[in-house]
Amino acid sequence: MRILVCVKQVIDSSESLTLDERTGELSYPSDSAFRMNRFDEFALEEALLIRERLAGSRVDALSVGPERVSSNLHRALGMGADHAIHILHRAEGYISPFSVASLIAACAGPRSYDLIIAGVMAEDTMACQTGQLIAALLDLPCATSVIKEEVRPERAEALVDREIEGGARERVLLELPAVFSVQPGINTPRYPSFSKVMRAQTYKQEVVKAEDLLVPAPREIRRSIRTPDMAAQGVFVEGSPREKARKLVRILHEKSIL
Amino acid sequence: MEAKPITLIAERRKGCVTQETYELLGFARAVGNGQMPIVILPGKDVLAAAQEIAEKTGCETIALSGDHLEHYNGLAYAEAIMNFLRCKADGWVCLPHTSMGYDLAPRLAVQLGASCITAVDSAGDGWLRRPVYSGRFKEEIVPQTSRVVATVLPGAFQSPAETTGSGGGVTVIEANEKKLASTTVGVAESLRRDSSLKDAEVIVAGGRGIGRRENVALLEELAAAFPKSALGASRSACDLGWFQHKHQIGVTGQTVSPKLYLACGISGAFQHVSGIRGAQIIMAINTDPHAAIFQSAHYCIREDLVTFIPILIEELNNTGH
Repeated sequence: MRILVCVKQVIDSSESLTLDERTGELSYPSDSAFRMNRFDEFALEEALLIRERLAGSRVDALSVGPERVSSNLHRALGMGADHAIHILHRAEGYISPFSVASLIAACAGPRSYDLIIAGVMAEDTMACQTGQLIAALLDLPCATSVIKEEVRPERAEALVDREIEGGARERVLLELPAVFSVQPGINTPRYPSFSKVMRAQTYKQEVVKAEDLLVPAPREIRRSIRTPDMAAQGVFVEGSPREKARKLVRILHEKSIL
Repeated sequence: MEAKPITLIAERRKGCVTQETYELLGFARAVGNGQMPIVILPGKDVLAAAQEIAEKTGCETIALSGDHLEHYNGLAYAEAIMNFLRCKADGWVCLPHTSMGYDLAPRLAVQLGASCITAVDSAGDGWLRRPVYSGRFKEEIVPQTSRVVATVLPGAFQSPAETTGSGGGVTVIEANEKKLASTTVGVAESLRRDSSLKDAEVIVAGGRGIGRRENVALLEELAAAFPKSALGASRSACDLGWFQHKHQIGVTGQTVSPKLYLACGISGAFQHVSGIRGAQIIMAINTDPHAAIFQSAHYCIREDLVTFIPILIEELNNTGH
């Protein structure tokens, strides 16, 4: 099995993000930490588990983004990926799910993977699109929110359970090659040892320049990003912790909950 | 802006037309120029449900019918819906942001050459707004194509009042089954449910923000200070192993409607919040003043729960109920 896993890099804590009044874009302190999108950790772990089950399998990890993204791929190699592909896209700021998926599809298409796996969404953009878009662009079947999988390479098929509303499960049979987006909870992502991550920093990463990939023009632009309307917020209970607690208890009495 | 045709993809769950389907009408009003959308309901034996939609909304409704459409399948649904959409030059295609909607929307968009904008919570003339970074920020996206596929967050738009005029017409279209690279074998209901959540008047729920497993005991203590209480949790806190999955509240967990919902260290992403919309009062404790949960909560407490909860328990016990 040749498996590609899409691993996005996200800012470690969105609390360090602020709106830059001048540019209208989000900005972050230059010493901000970045890490792997948690949803994609489950995707990579599942790929590694499949490789352990099916001898001769190989796992490639792919990230799209500027130079800093290479640390995300170090992490993927440290977790056990065999090869890292960095689609170097230097522009900071907005890049739509369609543009990202187009880059990945253009890169992955000729490499003929048996399986492409992504997390169900990214923690930052929360779009739930990348895996499905890659599948549609490459004309492959796709299952989202996969919570259980059984890949059967001898029959060129996979049987998966999708987790749907209320925790119900939809069972889908897909022909390979296929795309999965996996649901958190499908496994427990391994935590690579420090020495493995250190050693992974010496591994070579394949760099593909975004401008060398043939992709369609963007189909959506971001007009603005801002903080939500504060009027939508509830009442902030103020005072010392003790005063806040007393106010809450009073409210609960008034509302006849106590 | 000229009026573009609007097509809504309706959904049934356990045989009933979902609330999210009717909320799509609210979205259509926001982006449209008052023109009536067309509703497509794919599935098996969908005529009665299509009639219900046509009657309630006054919209022309298409019952896209086929045995192979009994359960949702990405390829089969896309095939059937595209046969209808292909002849339309431009316009909006709207789906609920559910396990069907977000699975299907990107494929429809690629096949239509449309832009794809998902998890939308508000919209206007030519723009769509959606939450990012767990709702700390909102971005406004402007599609650059004449065709747009959008998914709409459950609960974000109000479904309009039922029409008092005449109902819309219903057309049945039989979808032909084609051999496809994916088939849905069946659906199994969830086994992991805690009935105590359904009956609880007070739910104390924890998220990733409680920091560590040891703090679950603190939440249990707080819950014990209320009669008829139960422990809830966000998905990510369950996935971390801090809570059993039977405590999970939200889209893939349970939907609850207690008198009081106390959200502790929960960021407030839609996936969780959509499960607590029935709560009478929501109180949220979080250190982050921009946490999205404060947009859903009636009362917001900006405190570290490790120091605040013991004080709250003391005060609750002092009242001597």
